[in-house]
Amino acid sequence: MRVLLVEDTEGLGEAVRDQIADDGHAVDWVQTLAFAEASIQTTAYDLILLDLILPDGHGFGFLRKLRTAGYSTPVIILTARDQVSDRIEGLNAGADDYLVKPFDLSELSARVAAVARRYRGNPNPLIRVGDLEVDLGDHRISRNGQPVELTAREWALFEGFIHRPGMLLSRSQLEDRLYAFGAEIESNTIEVYVSRLRKKLGRDAIATVRGMGYRLETHDQ
Amino acid sequence: MTNKTSLQKSLGIGLTLGVTLLWLLGVTASGLVAQHEMNEVFDSALEETAQRILPLAVTDILNRENGARNQRAPALKDHDEYLTYLVRDRQGNLLLQSHDADPRVFGPLPQEGFSNTSTHRIYGASAVSETIYLEVAEPLAHRREAALEAGLALLMPLTFLIPVSLLGIWWIVRLSLRKVVDFQQSIESRGAGDLSPVAGDQLPREFEPIALAVNRLLERLHRALETERSFTANSAHELRTPLATALAKIQRLKTRIQSDQLKADIADIEESLRSLSVLSGKLLELAKAEGGGAISQSRHDLVPILAMIVSDFESQAPGRITLTLPESEVTSFLDPDAFAILVRNLIENAIKHGSREQPVEVSMAADGTLRVRNGGNLIPPDQLALLRNRFARSKTHATGSGLGLAIADAIATGAGMTMHLRSPATGRQDGFEAELNVACI
Repeated sequence: MRVLLVEDTEGLGEAVRDQIADDGHAVDWVQTLAFAEASIQTTAYDLILLDLILPDGHGFGFLRKLRTAGYSTPVIILTARDQVSDRIEGLNAGADDYLVKPFDLSELSARVAAVARRYRGNPNPLIRVGDLEVDLGDHRISRNGQPVELTAREWALFEGFIHRPGMLLSRSQLEDRLYAFGAEIESNTIEVYVSRLRKKLGRDAIATVRGMGYRLETHDQ
Repeated sequence: MTNKTSLQKSLGIGLTLGVTLLWLLGVTASGLVAQHEMNEVFDSALEETAQRILPLAVTDILNRENGARNQRAPALKDHDEYLTYLVRDRQGNLLLQSHDADPRVFGPLPQEGFSNTSTHRIYGASAVSETIYLEVAEPLAHRREAALEAGLALLMPLTFLIPVSLLGIWWIVRLSLRKVVDFQQSIESRGAGDLSPVAGDQLPREFEPIALAVNRLLERLHRALETERSFTANSAHELRTPLATALAKIQRLKTRIQSDQLKADIADIEESLRSLSVLSGKLLELAKAEGGGAISQSRHDLVPILAMIVSDFESQAPGRITLTLPESEVTSFLDPDAFAILVRNLIENAIKHGSREQPVEVSMAADGTLRVRNGGNLIPPDQLALLRNRFARSKTHATGSGLGLAIADAIATGAGMTMHLRSPATGRQDGFEAELNVACI
């Protein structure tokens, strides 16, 4: 997933960014609402982690503005405000979840995964595609009962496919998922990662649509 | 309200006593005037009688044969005489007397005009060149009786009028003070946290400054409380962010190191940070609970809040909590944040100290009765009584701040609710139960 993290506290932002990246998501970390707005306009995000008290405004106002404009990406609020009235206000403003600081990073990971699943309309973390069995909660894949190990970047790319099996994903959509890792995206980066995935998941798992992009095959559907 | 300060009572008694006293003074004055007038009438009658009898007596005496001295005027019919008379010569020799007359009542020598003895009023007149004197005597008791009867006649209506005026005054004073009593009751009936202005526009003008002063005081209190609350909220925020940073950093560090010894040390630091964050959270909750603010200005439905708080515990104690909610809304003036803190602390307490094999039962009835029950060992009554104290824990191995029940109790007390702690729990042989009615405010 591509995640936008809006958090102005230096150390916390760093730790959260690293945790989410370790979970296999691409993270863009910004420290102000202005940067957040600019990021949203240039990149499509799958999830936003939003702190409330930011140097240039309150997260609630930002969230309301997004929702009013019809922006439907799920938002998890990360805040030090623990009052139930704050939480109700946050959820009413359009947040999908609300996590009170200090929190466990593992809980954050779990909530990110749960919200993403809910957002895609399938709260079940277990997905079957062809001979692949995927546990989105634990980031585990098994092929014909045999576990498959993926690196964080491979998982980031694979997650793009698994949520839209059978659908065509363009190179730029796939590149977006890797950009936030800070990697230099060279012209053959996507080919390299797709080839690694094919090695681990089977040659026919991902099909190339010449000149257009790639598609996760769903043989038995 | 004590008797000493009851304006209604002192006004009622004071006014009634005052009016009664004035009435009595008025009656006394009227009585004296009436007595004076009666005396004049009696005197005039006495004089008139003497003037009438005198010529007859003189004729009678002059027509007598010589030597005949005292004679008693015969009574035509037997009767009591109010007026008795003596006819004497200048030396006091008796010439004629009325049939009931007692010469001892009169003076030794006859006198003209009015005079008093200890028992009678006497009028004397003379004739035939002051050789024959006639004196008529009237008993003073007669006059006293008349005065007494007149006085009683004046006093009689008072026995009826005084109770009537007492009731009237009582009623009027009560009516006038009703708005003041309403005002006082509207202040008394408020919950501890309700600092909204009191409506004093219906009060009598004399009491308006009091209402104004009360409202100014409430406003000052409200501001002070708001400052304290915002300080508590800000402290919470300022404390939580660095704690979150430290905890997150430590957790990240743990994933990067290989050494088991270092991992164990870091886990210790992480645990300390966690306890610090729990304890600071609890202290801030306690500060909020004791700083008032448990009462909201409007009613809220507490059912969805209870459901939300219970769902928060799902990840912490999966499947251990059973929740029973009423079909209808349960509305209360209890502040939703205060309610959330109260419930969270009761559930945390039940999860931590209850038996792990038994469920934590959270239930809310339609009448607002909230119960949090858990299984586990019986808590002896002496320990049960101490659980509301801060940093008090029953004999348990579970870790905890010992503040949970103190916070819950502070919120309940601040909102005017009574929290009952029981062991064994209702319907069980063991366990612990906390019960309170959240809809009673």
